[in-house]
Amino acid sequence: MQKAQRLLDLAAFLLRAAEPVSWREIQEQFADDYGGTGEAAIRKFERDKADLLELAIPIRYEPGDEDLSAGYLIDRDEFYLPDLKLPPEDLALLYVAGSAALASGAFPYSRDLAHAMNKLSFAARAPGASEAAALATTHLSRPDAAGAGTSLLEELSRAVGTKKRVRLVYAGAERRARTEREVDPYGLFQKGGAWFLTGWCHLRRDHRTFHLARIEQLTVNQKAPRTPDFTPRKDLPLAEVATRETWEFTVHAPQHCRVRLEPPVSPEVLASFGPRARLTEDGTATVVELDATNGEGLVRHVLSLGHRAELLSPKPLRDRARAILADLARRVA
Amino acid sequence: MKAPPKAPPRRRTAAKAATARTGAPAKARATLPRPPRAPARETEAGKNDPRERLRRVLFLVPYAVQHPGIHVRELARRCGVTESELLEDLEFLMEVGSPPFAPDDFLDLYVEGDRVHVALHQSFTRPPRFTESEAAALAAAVGALGGEGTERAVKALRDSVPRDRRASFDELVDRIYAGAPPARGSVLGRLQRSIAERRAVKLTYLSASSSTEAERLVHPYTLAQRLGHWYLYGHDASRDKPLAFRIDRIRDCALTDQRFEAPSDAELARARLFSEPTGEGIRVRLGPLAAAWALARPGAMELLKRTDDGGAVVELKGVSEEWATRFALSFGGGAEVIGPAPAARHFAEAVRGALARYQ
Repeated sequence: MQKAQRLLDLAAFLLRAAEPVSWREIQEQFADDYGGTGEAAIRKFERDKADLLELAIPIRYEPGDEDLSAGYLIDRDEFYLPDLKLPPEDLALLYVAGSAALASGAFPYSRDLAHAMNKLSFAARAPGASEAAALATTHLSRPDAAGAGTSLLEELSRAVGTKKRVRLVYAGAERRARTEREVDPYGLFQKGGAWFLTGWCHLRRDHRTFHLARIEQLTVNQKAPRTPDFTPRKDLPLAEVATRETWEFTVHAPQHCRVRLEPPVSPEVLASFGPRARLTEDGTATVVELDATNGEGLVRHVLSLGHRAELLSPKPLRDRARAILADLARRVA
Repeated sequence: MKAPPKAPPRRRTAAKAATARTGAPAKARATLPRPPRAPARETEAGKNDPRERLRRVLFLVPYAVQHPGIHVRELARRCGVTESELLEDLEFLMEVGSPPFAPDDFLDLYVEGDRVHVALHQSFTRPPRFTESEAAALAAAVGALGGEGTERAVKALRDSVPRDRRASFDELVDRIYAGAPPARGSVLGRLQRSIAERRAVKLTYLSASSSTEAERLVHPYTLAQRLGHWYLYGHDASRDKPLAFRIDRIRDCALTDQRFEAPSDAELARARLFSEPTGEGIRVRLGPLAAAWALARPGAMELLKRTDDGGAVVELKGVSEEWATRFALSFGGGAEVIGPAPAARHFAEAVRGALARYQ
């Protein structure tokens, strides 16, 4: 029998049973599938049970007592999606955030996200305005070009979730060399509209971050799909990697840096220095203090902010900024 | 409900052929013979993946129960399949039931005219809970937008995952980071509330062109994301037209008691976050390293030519001179704006202005 059908039959059967159903009974009713004796039938049933749980259908075994016989059941409260009981503004958050992510064309687990958005219509009694807003969001958030690399993101999401090792053919930016490497995929993050993979790189024996646009080939280890290949190290939380600014990449020892910002300073310029920057007002301007481990990254960032931003210290970085600007000034003269 | 009967198991195929429809209540429709079982297609990916089909029908059945007589086209759209794929799903569902596989033990969804009806739902009246990846994907999306309700929403998602999968949910949530929220939670919380309640808001907004703050009265329609930035889209009262406001430029947001009518679907269908880029773009010359980085970034950029040294000349569409200058300067000397003349002048002045600070 087709597996999809068998799983749904089993779910329907246990969902309507008033009492736990014994293994013998299940074997009798599904004689073609779980009939026969021995381990094979049990293993097949256990695999189906695991498949159903992956669909969020939990089959429970009740050991039974004097009133109730032992057996399997699907507890309706554990099966049906409950009402989320969220206030309207939180529903708007779910609807709008989910729709925007889905419409962007590239989001991890996008197929799952689409299912989740569908299910949302059952998770609230009156989504009303939120559902309408979500439609508009979908329309407005759609990219001009179809999101490239969505299947790559989808495959990587699975590998991250199931902790399977991947093999990448990766085109490096700076050296422009193509390398092949094995990576334990720890997580995915988005920055500036692009997606990145972070993980343990077996080639470099270190944490590495990979730009998805530069992954030319991806192979996920297909062996033992339900057995994880690795345990992610916990010493580097994803949010920390994701919010790491270019001047926080490890290139040299930390250097204390100061940047002066002439008013008016927009909130996004302030935010652009990241969560670890310290801001002080000196009366006429805002001074940003931070520790850089990649001075060149900071120089570039300060230059990109235009003439209202000035790198005050340390002197070598200040000199570097001046040299770049002097060179550019000669070229555009 | 009584305990499952102890009758000897029937062969399913026999049950199908012999009794599937004969005992069904008479309805004003043609009695469809149960179709021969489709060949197994478990190896195909995507929509025909058996797991995908299961997830789809677990939504399809309760949705059809909740919307009696829904159009085939509408149900197909909700399920993300074509109409013929939906009909295939319905055929598949006719085969699904539970022992002892008497006629009333099967699912019974039928099409009459172009509408879908449910005669027997076999308790599939609501979809199953969220899987951990469904909930985690949605939680990641929520985290990237933010707002006062973020924690409440993520907790509600977690509670909607089957108990046995919550640990997996917790782990997965830490593995996807879709971006930092664009503004303070309170501003976003108020925007979300105003959208849900259709109430006008008073914004303190820092406009990009003038660098000055101004108060704006807006009917907020929705929030949307483009190229990594979040925008509020709504009707601006003083300009009397729908506009996009970058959320990280909203300094403050106050709800008013003024309610507004929802925009029509037609109005929203015409909606754009930005006007289409017109006219000449801005040309930037990139050195070899800058080119490698720039061409991997998302955004509206057209490659005009590659230079011999591995560099490139690109054209930026629909951006301001200011934006193009900042873009070029972010490559630390590896890029310059070369045209058209006003944009190149803007770049040159910015370079000289910045250099003056370091003299």
